[in-house]
Amino acid sequence: MTYVGIPVPRTEDARLISGQGHYLADLAIPGMLEAVVVRSQDAAGELRSLDADEALSLPGVRMVMTAADLPESARAITRSFYVLTPQFVERHAVEVGGSSEPVLAAGRVCRVGEPTALIVATDRYVAEDARRLVLADVDPSPAVVDPEAALSPGSPLVDPAVPGNLHGRFDVVVGDPDRARENAEHRVSARFRIARSVGSPLENRGVAAKWVDDTLTVWSTTQIPHVLRSYLAPMLGLEEERIRVIAPDMGGSFGGGVYPEEVLVPLAAMRLGRPVRWLEERGEDLMNSRHSRDQLIDAELAFDGNGSFRSLSMRILQDCGAVNPFGITLPFNVASHARSVYRIDHFRAEGLCVLTNKTRNTPVRGAGRPEAAFVVDRLVDMAAHRLGMDPADLRLKNLIPADEMPKDMGMMYRDGNQLVYDSGDFPDQVRTALEASGYQTLRDRKPRSDRHRIGVGMSCHVEGTGLGPHEAAEVRVDTSGKIVVRCGSQPHGQSHATVLAQVCADVFGIRPDDVLVRTGDTALLPFGGGTFGSRSGVTASAVVRIASEQTRRKLEELASDVLEIAVNDLVFEGGRVFPRGVPDAGLTFAELARLAAPGPASRRPHDPGLASLNTFVPPSVTFSSGTQVAVVEVDIDTGMVEVLDVVVVDDCGTILNPMVVDGQQHGGVAHGLGNILLEEFRYDDTGQPGSVTFMDYLLPTATDVPSITVIHRSHPTPLNPLGVKGAGEGATASAPAGIANAICDALAEFGVEVTEMPISPARLLDLIDQGRR
Amino acid sequence: MKVDLELTVNGEAVGISADPRTTLADLLRDHLGLTGTHLGCEQGVCGSCTVLVDGHSARSCLMLAAAAQGREVTTIEGMASESGLHPVQEAFSRHHALQCGFCTPGFFATVLEMMSEGVLADEAIVRERLSGNLCRCTGYHNIVTATLELLGGRP
Ligand code: FES
Ligand code: FES
Repeated sequence: MTYVGIPVPRTEDARLISGQGHYLADLAIPGMLEAVVVRSQDAAGELRSLDADEALSLPGVRMVMTAADLPESARAITRSFYVLTPQFVERHAVEVGGSSEPVLAAGRVCRVGEPTALIVATDRYVAEDARRLVLADVDPSPAVVDPEAALSPGSPLVDPAVPGNLHGRFDVVVGDPDRARENAEHRVSARFRIARSVGSPLENRGVAAKWVDDTLTVWSTTQIPHVLRSYLAPMLGLEEERIRVIAPDMGGSFGGGVYPEEVLVPLAAMRLGRPVRWLEERGEDLMNSRHSRDQLIDAELAFDGNGSFRSLSMRILQDCGAVNPFGITLPFNVASHARSVYRIDHFRAEGLCVLTNKTRNTPVRGAGRPEAAFVVDRLVDMAAHRLGMDPADLRLKNLIPADEMPKDMGMMYRDGNQLVYDSGDFPDQVRTALEASGYQTLRDRKPRSDRHRIGVGMSCHVEGTGLGPHEAAEVRVDTSGKIVVRCGSQPHGQSHATVLAQVCADVFGIRPDDVLVRTGDTALLPFGGGTFGSRSGVTASAVVRIASEQTRRKLEELASDVLEIAVNDLVFEGGRVFPRGVPDAGLTFAELARLAAPGPASRRPHDPGLASLNTFVPPSVTFSSGTQVAVVEVDIDTGMVEVLDVVVVDDCGTILNPMVVDGQQHGGVAHGLGNILLEEFRYDDTGQPGSVTFMDYLLPTATDVPSITVIHRSHPTPLNPLGVKGAGEGATASAPAGIANAICDALAEFGVEVTEMPISPARLLDLIDQGRR
Repeated sequence: MKVDLELTVNGEAVGISADPRTTLADLLRDHLGLTGTHLGCEQGVCGSCTVLVDGHSARSCLMLAAAAQGREVTTIEGMASESGLHPVQEAFSRHHALQCGFCTPGFFATVLEMMSEGVLADEAIVRERLSGNLCRCTGYHNIVTATLELLGGRP
């Protein structure tokens, strides 16, 4: 039997359900010291001095590190998370500056929460006591908080090196949007405000490091161990060979990058010659880590009286925070996904990356797609309303038909390739969602009281998944006969150990239990990409497949040689290789591994062992897609929204493990639901953050999220060996728009149009009141 | 100054002296090596640190170790027995009710308490009772399914 496509139970679980996970906070290195970070309390200002004398004199404090203690090479993180090709830059009029994030603030502070010092002490209790004793002398200056005001002449500058606070821009033009707009019979437009939200995994970030025998080991809650190593080597003045980065079990992640603490903690460990660990607190995580969204989008959809879409235009203002290592990534993701599943031949998207005195913005689950789907699908519903059409009918009328796949969208993707929807059947997907949800009869549902209203909403999305540049894996036959997979992409909940074992097992004709998957450690293999952007299902499975096939060929060659049987006459079964029809005459994988071992008697002296290290370089992203139908009930007296049902129809190509994929959909819907109904990280107009506990920053709970129905309509992609398309983020993309449309449907009698994310009960009440007047 | 503590943890008597400001979570994790209890917020909101104290769920991040004097604490490490995994562990795995697993120990304590109270296998009640534990990965769907099954409801 084969294992790809069936719900193989997770190998990870045995450890995790018995309390035997190894998360960063569980690390116990003898002699380990604990660190805390001192952070700026001011959003902007001159940092005149930092007095750490009193903190240093506290018993148990071993070190207080400030900017002056940093080596020149480690003062700032100056690499950016993207490479843009010259063709891309020219085609879409891209301008973007470099990025330099101070590891510790020097001379000035540019946001609340910016690290100003690292304290290392015998334990966390002492370190936290010491933190209160560090005195910063800051001469505050006015903070730049509103991104529109940031662009106005005379605004203070967030970074003196970035004139006008404009760090990046682009302009995408497809077709002739101006003319199409002029000639269209109707237009709907709105200004969409998408709040800043926070990735908020349940585990906070953390970093630990030890420096032993001139070799640095760094444990970090990172999604990108090999990338982190490549950042650290030049900053710490070490060869990559002398740095080992380990990503232990992680309690989620949902986005990220490289952070100052990942530089500071190794430096402290090297300086003190003692292991050092820093564990982030929840308040720090909310204030500093994984901020995302935060866009102001002015958009307009032009269409004809028969409902045909003519053009879409938008201006995306991205509030990047104080530094912008991701360049145009986020607003460009909006632009490249904004036309979603619809045929819109004329398109314009202008993107502006603006600096403010806030935490830096990063890609978090969805990374631009939830914003894109929110904008376009709200406009589609507004258009339907204008025409008196059912929004589902208007969608069906404008979908890209299946026979136009692959569909060139007339622009480039961020990786410099032409943006092409490679596979999918959008009309089938939408019709399936309508049928499965019972769309036609949903509005007949009776609300629970006469102050409640029921509404139905729909949303679609596409997502470019499986971004490069590469992923790497080594597949080896262990002398026990088991197969060992080492992969450069590592999980934080995505079930790599289970799924990659399924992929490998099928190539060797064995059970997943006979495959040992190892990830999350740069010592395992020289290269690795990481887990982000719905890429692991695509790129890691592809490379594991490729490396498994190559190792299998080595097994075949050797068995053929030893058994003196042609390769084509060999059968792989149950961890053995034998001549067809003669199962007793074969060799076990273990025997073959021993025959291939190096030594005078090796049967493979030219290539000892049975292993293959491969990389997979995807040609470009592959587009997964999905449709959601949401049903909500709104209390018109309180503005409270209850989501009653969500139906998801998803196309992630070949499904590796349906149980795991469904889990990703459930979690994705919940994340999107949080974004539209609850989650907002607030700053006041002096740049002080206001959402630093889970009491102020609300995550969805079990009472907020409904049961979710997931249906698959899979159209495998030709772009990778297994036909996989990413599944990790799509549900987050559609959920906000679907729920927002359902709310507007419920409140149609009041003419409510939701244009902000999240929409709070108080704000909804305002809109209802306006409609009543 | 230290305080001497005597308590029962997962059925074993423990005698230990600790700083009076040590939380129960830190006592379990740092002093007893029981790192299955997780800290997600240390503000009493996320529920990751939930353990059972005398059979009742408690936020071990807010509770001082000293308050557990003489009491019986159960953590995730104490759930399996010689005869195998606890039904809660099995149900969560079977229904894929965990992804990263960070929230899982806290959910286990909450569900164990619900089972011992004989909470009705009703979805609305179950969701209400689970709402003190946050999970960012699963969307709760499979956690609710597993819990309903454990309470004798639909599988
Ligand atoms: S760690 Fe105790 S409730 Fe979050
Ligand atoms: S499984 Fe990751 S937080 Fe619940």
